[in-house]
Amino acid sequence: MNKPLLALALVFGIATVASVQAQTPAAASPAPAINDAQIAHIAYTAGVIDIAAAKQALQKSHNKDVRAFAEEMARDHAAVNEQALALVKKLGVTPQDNPTSQSLSKNAAAELKTLAALKGSAFDKAYVDNEVAYHKAVNGALRSTLIPSAQNAELKSLLETGLKLFQSHQAHAEHLAQSLN
Amino acid sequence: MLRMTILLAGLLALAGGIAPASASSTAKPPATAAHRMHVIVIDQMQYGPMPTDVRAGDIIEWTNHDILEHSATARDGHFDVDLKPGTSGRITATAGTFAFFCKFHPTMTGTVVVK
Ligand SMILES: [Cu+2]
Repeated sequence: MNKPLLALALVFGIATVASVQAQTPAAASPAPAINDAQIAHIAYTAGVIDIAAAKQALQKSHNKDVRAFAEEMARDHAAVNEQALALVKKLGVTPQDNPTSQSLSKNAAAELKTLAALKGSAFDKAYVDNEVAYHKAVNGALRSTLIPSAQNAELKSLLETGLKLFQSHQAHAEHLAQSLN
Repeated sequence: MLRMTILLAGLLALAGGIAPASASSTAKPPATAAHRMHVIVIDQMQYGPMPTDVRAGDIIEWTNHDILEHSATARDGHFDVDLKPGTSGRITATAGTFAFFCKFHPTMTGTVVVK
């Protein structure tokens, strides 16, 4: 596992532990470790990161299949983020920056830098491998932390739709990774 | 003129109550007296169940309930239906087996058999 992903796993791991701890005290309604404004921010940030990775791939890759995949990522994550923005606006929620979002962005910047140094098929393989790992990590976080913690039903539903879409992205990335081997 | 005649004939058939009843629950009112419509619903990055008992001349309609744009694109290049979120698109079926996919999401595939 590469460093950025380990960090991602740790971040979400901690978020999960924190959410368990927050529920331990005998309170009438246990407060989740992360609130909806933070969840929206994390989901949106995760999308922005994948769009940035896709744009880099479209600048660097000459592989037709890799480019098609990158176009899919840029288009879909932009569309989901547009829905997320429309929803938070409707709900009157301002997405709230938080340590998980910050850590995601920091790790993504490092990954962009690593990939920037690669060329040709080495870049293609590293980009697609990272996309597999990234979608796995984000889907895991959606399933184990973000969806269960979401309080608003519409936000929860959008996250659930997002999970379905990103699982399909993961399948596409895995298939593509195999073909590049 | 011919079209008008067909239309009139269709209306008369409907008015006379001799239009065939739709057998399938997915079939909407027939496009013409003899032809049926089959709807394939798209949601959450998937094509819904493929229609069965499709005959040449029937209408196949894709309805996109997803939040993303999709397409129904024939493998053999015969049709390419763009489907923005919340929209529908249709083709008239010709006999044979046709495979289609989404040009934006190659993991989305489907096959319809037309008799
Ligand atoms: Cu699609």
